[in-house]
Amino acid sequence: MKVSLYSLKKILFQGKARLLNCKTMAGEITVLDNHASLITVLTAGVIKIVEENPSANSGLKQHFYPIKSGFLEVRQGNEVRCIIEE
Amino acid sequence: MDSPQNIKKRLKSVKNIKQITKAMELVSAVKMRKSQQIALDSRPYAFLALDLLATVSSLNQSSRWQFPELFKIRKINKVLFVLVSSDKGLAGAFNSSVFKKFEQHMQRDKEKYQSEEKFFVAVGEKSASYLSKKAVNIVKKFVQSGDHTTPTQVEPLADFIVEGYLEKKWDRVVIFSTHFRSALKQEPHVRRILPIDFNHIKETVQEIIPERGKFADLIKEHDISFVPKNSQAARKEYLIEPSPEKVLLKLAKHLFFMQIYHLILEANASEHSARRLAMKTASDNASDLASALNLQYNKSRQSAITKEIIEIIAGAEALS
Repeated sequence: MKVSLYSLKKILFQGKARLLNCKTMAGEITVLDNHASLITVLTAGVIKIVEENPSANSGLKQHFYPIKSGFLEVRQGNEVRCIIEE
Repeated sequence: MDSPQNIKKRLKSVKNIKQITKAMELVSAVKMRKSQQIALDSRPYAFLALDLLATVSSLNQSSRWQFPELFKIRKINKVLFVLVSSDKGLAGAFNSSVFKKFEQHMQRDKEKYQSEEKFFVAVGEKSASYLSKKAVNIVKKFVQSGDHTTPTQVEPLADFIVEGYLEKKWDRVVIFSTHFRSALKQEPHVRRILPIDFNHIKETVQEIIPERGKFADLIKEHDISFVPKNSQAARKEYLIEPSPEKVLLKLAKHLFFMQIYHLILEANASEHSARRLAMKTASDNASDLASALNLQYNKSRQSAITKEIIEIIAGAEALS
């Protein structure tokens, strides 16, 4: 799935990912491929993104972004977009 | 004609001034670029936030739930005015044009505002001193915020305005700031920022890109449209957690903050480009003055030499 993660300062992540894990107001969720359309509010915590293609030496690359608050939108067509406050 | 010594002194000081203004010009140019870059970097965020707002608010067709307080237009009794200016001077007409716009606005709507209570917030040292001269009701000052505004620096201002609005300290917020049209052209603008209006935010986001100059081409590159693309049927499938109302409330706060942030950034970029222009004029004038003084100095030196030679020749002739 295509993931884009934006903050007010810059684009934090843009690319293909296998999974995205974050804390929402309703609890912790993990978004995988072909998730249903969703709009939700994120709470303070860490967003974890695992890249889709394993790299040669380190396996699946993981990214962590600490956030204060934000929004998550899962769109049709396997696309996830986040705006966050750092 | 002045003595060569005096002219030389003046020449030296003019050259010093030129050096200083030149340096300030270069510094301002770099700072302007930087402010513009910061504004541009936050564009994806702004677009997505707007898109979300459009999606969520279009779900409310049957108005099953209420819009949050920040969107509601209530009866206006109290108005808050925010004046955005710079902390430092030497920026040409940057500050005075904002104040002029403010005066014009107040003059025009004098009757409209008569029954309303007015409050003022000053952003920047210059507007603080301007407002205190006018002896009006300044609720708060935000000064010395520095050059490259980060989101954290704008937070106190945004929080202050939102809190006051929710506590019904004011029913409408109007902001006076400078719109950065291009590096050479800045315009003072008046905007109503509260209650939130979708079209007003849209305008602000569109204005992030200057009309001309280095970044102007970006408009063509990104196909910007704010009208939701997908059909109604597709929208209904959205799951919204925890509830549309809560999402909208949070989103409203974020959007409001983003709008303030952009207004401040734009004012910042305008300040630096106004200063750059003012300093460029100053250093041009200084170099004109320097070359005129140089000519004068050479002439007076030449005439002194001629005079001395005449004296020597006259002396030699008298001896022979």
